Amino acid sequence: MESTFWPRTKSTAMSAVMVAGIVVLGCCAAQGQNKPSGPGPQQDAASLTPPPAYTAPPKGTPPAEDTPAQRDALARLKMKAEAHTESERAAYNAAVSPSYNFHYGPKNPFLPGNVQVQGQGFLQPDAYPSAEYCGTCHQEAYSEWRQALHSNAFRTPFYRASVNILIRDKTRGIAFARHCDSCHNPIGVLGAALTEDSKVDRAKFDSDGLTCTTCHSVVALDSTNGNSSVVMGVPSALVDENGNRIPGMVSFDQILRHPERHSKAVMHDFLRKPEFCAACHKANLPATLNDYKFIRAFTAYDEWQQSKFSQRNPLTFYTADFTTCQGCHMKRNPASLPDYGAKNGTFASHRWLAGNTAVPFYYGFDDQLSKTIDFLRSGNYLNVDIFGLRKQDDEKLYAPLGRVPFSLAPKDVVEAYVVIQNKNIGHSLIPEVRDLYEAWVEFTVKDSAGNDIYHSGFLKPDGMLDPRAHSFTNRPVTDEGDFVDNHKVWTIHSVAYDNTVQAGRSVLVRYQFRLPENIHGAFTVTAKVNYRHLRQSYLNNIFGKDHPAYPVVELASRSRVFNIGQNQPESPDPADNPDWMRWNNLGIALLDQFQYAESVAAFNEVVKLRHDYPDAYTNVGLTEISWEKFGSARTAIRKALTLDPNNARALYYDGLLQRRAGNTAQEIADFRKVVELFPESRDARRELGITYYQQKDEHNALEQFEALQRIDPDDLTAHYNLSILYRRMGRTKEAADQQAMFVDKKVDPGAPTYSLDYLRLHPEISTESIPWHIHSDIASDSEGTEHGK
Amino acid sequence: MASKNVLPPIRLNRIAANLLGLCVLAMPSMVHAANECPWLNEATASGLLGGSAVGEFAGVAGQPAVCTFTQHEAGGTRTLQITIEVATDPHSRLAALIQSCGTRTEPLTAIGNESVACALDPRRKTLGERAFGRVRDQVFTITLSSSLKGDPVLNEDALKTRIYTAAEQVAGNLF
Repeated sequence: MESTFWPRTKSTAMSAVMVAGIVVLGCCAAQGQNKPSGPGPQQDAASLTPPPAYTAPPKGTPPAEDTPAQRDALARLKMKAEAHTESERAAYNAAVSPSYNFHYGPKNPFLPGNVQVQGQGFLQPDAYPSAEYCGTCHQEAYSEWRQALHSNAFRTPFYRASVNILIRDKTRGIAFARHCDSCHNPIGVLGAALTEDSKVDRAKFDSDGLTCTTCHSVVALDSTNGNSSVVMGVPSALVDENGNRIPGMVSFDQILRHPERHSKAVMHDFLRKPEFCAACHKANLPATLNDYKFIRAFTAYDEWQQSKFSQRNPLTFYTADFTTCQGCHMKRNPASLPDYGAKNGTFASHRWLAGNTAVPFYYGFDDQLSKTIDFLRSGNYLNVDIFGLRKQDDEKLYAPLGRVPFSLAPKDVVEAYVVIQNKNIGHSLIPEVRDLYEAWVEFTVKDSAGNDIYHSGFLKPDGMLDPRAHSFTNRPVTDEGDFVDNHKVWTIHSVAYDNTVQAGRSVLVRYQFRLPENIHGAFTVTAKVNYRHLRQSYLNNIFGKDHPAYPVVELASRSRVFNIGQNQPESPDPADNPDWMRWNNLGIALLDQFQYAESVAAFNEVVKLRHDYPDAYTNVGLTEISWEKFGSARTAIRKALTLDPNNARALYYDGLLQRRAGNTAQEIADFRKVVELFPESRDARRELGITYYQQKDEHNALEQFEALQRIDPDDLTAHYNLSILYRRMGRTKEAADQQAMFVDKKVDPGAPTYSLDYLRLHPEISTESIPWHIHSDIASDSEGTEHGK
Repeated sequence: MASKNVLPPIRLNRIAANLLGLCVLAMPSMVHAANECPWLNEATASGLLGGSAVGEFAGVAGQPAVCTFTQHEAGGTRTLQITIEVATDPHSRLAALIQSCGTRTEPLTAIGNESVACALDPRRKTLGERAFGRVRDQVFTITLSSSLKGDPVLNEDALKTRIYTAAEQVAGNLF
C-alpha cells in the first residue's frame, strides 16, 4: 500500500541539523511524501493546451491595422462582453448580497482590507479568466506561478491555520478575515465569499490564491498604505483601438493579432514598480480589526524605500545601483517553456523567489524549493565577520581578526565580536512576520578533534531553537503580556523585542567562552546565519508535533582557526569585506547599540584607512550628534563637506547642527539642498518642514509635510503638524482627519508595560530586548548573570 | 469544538482497538440543518457534484460529525459525504480507516498532515471515490459518489480531481 504517512518519529535536533546540511545541498523531498502521481497541487505546464501558432513580428513593426469590418466585429464583441459581465454581476449580487455580513456597513463591504473594485457591488469569481487560459500562451509564467507563493497564498496550512483562528474567534469571525484575505485571496473578498452564510463556490478560486488576473487586473494603486490598497478592475485580456477594456476572455486569435492591445489590458507600468508590491507587502493592524488602534505590522516597502537600493534616502551608510523589488524577486531568466511574453528568450520570473521554503517543502515543489535555497544563498546578501577578540582582564580589542597578531592560552576567557552585516538585502533581515520566520546566529567553538567548546544557536531535540540564541526575530505580545503565538495579530498590543537588522546596517553579537585547561593546537570558531521557515512552535501549532523537520538554510557563514599560543596575520578570505568596511560595520553596529564612544572609535579607524572618504567623517559626526557632543560633531561634518560640498548626507547632519547653533538661514539652505538632491527623502522633508514651521512659514511647512505624507502616509510628524496647519488655514475637515490619524497611530504609552510583563516572565529571552548584551555559558561564575547572558 | 467525548469502540479493527479512545468533535447538541456544514458550503458542494446540491449536517455529541450533500438527477443521485472525528491516536485511526481501501490507494499530496484516496468499494453499485486524511488529531473521511449510470459529470477522471479538491477544502478548514 502506498502511503503518504510521515515518519512517526518526532523531529529531533539531530534530524533538523542534518536537514540543514542536506537541504542546502539538495534536499528536495516533499514533506515526507513522493511527488504526486494523481491529482494534486502541481498542475504543470504539460497539462495546458498547447499554445496557438504565433510568430512575433520583427521589432519595430507597427501594430496591425484593422479593417472596418474587424473594428465593427470588435465593437460588437465588446458590447456583448460588457452586457454579459454586467448582467452576470447583477445576478450574482442579487444572489450573494442578502446573506452577506456587512459588518462595517454597506459602504465598506471589504473592510478591514483596503481593496476596492471598479463598478457596483461584488465581482463574481467567474469574471476572472483562469490561470490555464493565460497559461496557454504563457507556459513559462504559468509553471513558475503554480509553484510560487502567490498561487498558494491562500490554501497553504501555514496561512489557513492562522486565519481560521480569526474566523473561529467568537469576538470576531469571518468578516474580520477580509483583512488577511484581501491580499491572500482577493477574489474571495471581492466576490462576497467571506461571510458566515456564504453562497460562493470556493473551489473555483481558493487553490489559485493570487491568480494571473488578480495582479494583472489591478487598474490603480489607491495608496501605499498596504492591506491590499489597490483598485481591481473587471478582468480584461484586451482593449479596443481606443484603449477601452473588453471584459472577460477573448479568443487567442484576437490577442495574437493585437498583442499591443493585450499588453495595454494587462501590463500597467506600475506592475514594475515597488509601489505595486507595497499594496500587500506593507500591512497594518487597523482599529477595525483589533478594536484597539493602528499598529504597524510590517513594511518591506518602506524598508526598501529607506535602503540604498531605492536611491531615495541620502542617509544610508552605503550606496548601490537602483534596484526595485522586482529587480531581485523577478529576475529575468531564460524561458524553458513557450511563452509569448518572453523577450529575447528571457522572462521575468514569476516564482518571486524569496525566503519561503515551507510551502514548496509541503507541496513537493522541488524546483521552487531548490531555487529558493539557491536564491537565499546567492547575492552576497549577508556578510558574517568574526571581527575581534577580547580577553578577560585585557582591555584591548584584537581586531580586525586576520590582520593583527595576538596570543591565546588555555583557560583564557575570550569574548568574540561577530559582526553581521545586512549587506545587500533591500529590506530588513528578517522582513515581514518576524514572529513566524526564524533567522538566528549559530556560533560554535570546536577543538581540533571537533568537540564543542561552546555552542550557541543549536536546535534542541524537539526542534525548538536554543532560547539563548541570538535571533533576528521579534516577540509581539498581548495586553496581558503573552507572546502572540499562532499569528493572532489582532491581539498584538506591543512588541517585547524586535531584533531585526535593517537594510545596510550591521549588528554586533558578542559571545563569551572559556578555553579548556587541556586545550592545545588549533581550535575553530564558526558563525553562521541560519534561516527556517517557520518557527518550530508555529509548525507544531499547525500540524501537531509529529511533522517532519522543516528545512534550515545556512544563509552565510565564516570560520576562523586560532592557535593556542601565537596567532599571526593571514590573507583575507575573498568574501571578506575590506578592512575599512569591517571597521565601518562595527561602528554602525555599536551606534545601534548605543555604544557611542566605541562607535566613534571604530569610525575613526575608517578615517585612518580612508582619509578621503567623506562618509567616514559623517559617521563620526552623526554618532556624536546622537551622543550630544555637538562641538566635535561639527568638526567632523565640516571635514566631510570640505571633501564633498554637495554631499547630501553630510548636509543633512549639518542642517541639524546649524539648527542647534541658531543659524536658521544655513539650516534651511542645507535641508533645501538635500531635498533638491533627494526629493523623496522623508527625513529631509520632515526636518525642513519643522524648520519652516518654527519660522512660522506655514506655506512652506505645509508643502514639506504634504510631500512627506505622500512618501510615508503614516509619518506621525506629518499628521501632527498638518493637523495644526490645516486648522490655522481654516481647513477644519482635513485638520480633524490628520488629528484623528495622529491619535490612532501614535504609540500607546501603556504598551511598553505589556512588553515588560512578557520579559519579566521570560528571563531566558529577556536579554534579547537589551541592545548591548553578551551570550555566554559562564553563568555560574558570574554573579547576577541569568541563563548565560 | 470545546471538549472531546470518548466513544464506545464500534467495529474497530486491531489497530483501532489499541486506541485509548476515539473522540469526536463535540457539538453542543444535535444539529440537522442545511448550510451549517463547517467544512464545506453548499455552493462549493454543488460545484463538485455538478448541480444544485442540498446539504445536511449532523453533529451529535459522542459521534463523528457528518455533512451530507446530495444532488438529484432524473437517473440517480450524486452524493458528497464528509465525516470528521477527533482521535486520541489519529495516525492509527487513519490507518484503520484506510484498510478498507485494500491495496489500491493513491497519495493525496499536500492535503492535511497525511491523506490518501481510493475508489469506493467496487462491489457497490455506485461509482465513487474516497479520501481519508487527517489534520492534527482530526480524522476526515470524504466520499464522493454517483448512482447515475455512466454519469457524464462524475466519471472516473472527474472523481479523482474532485475528491482532491474536496479534500483540500475540508483539510483547509480543519487547520
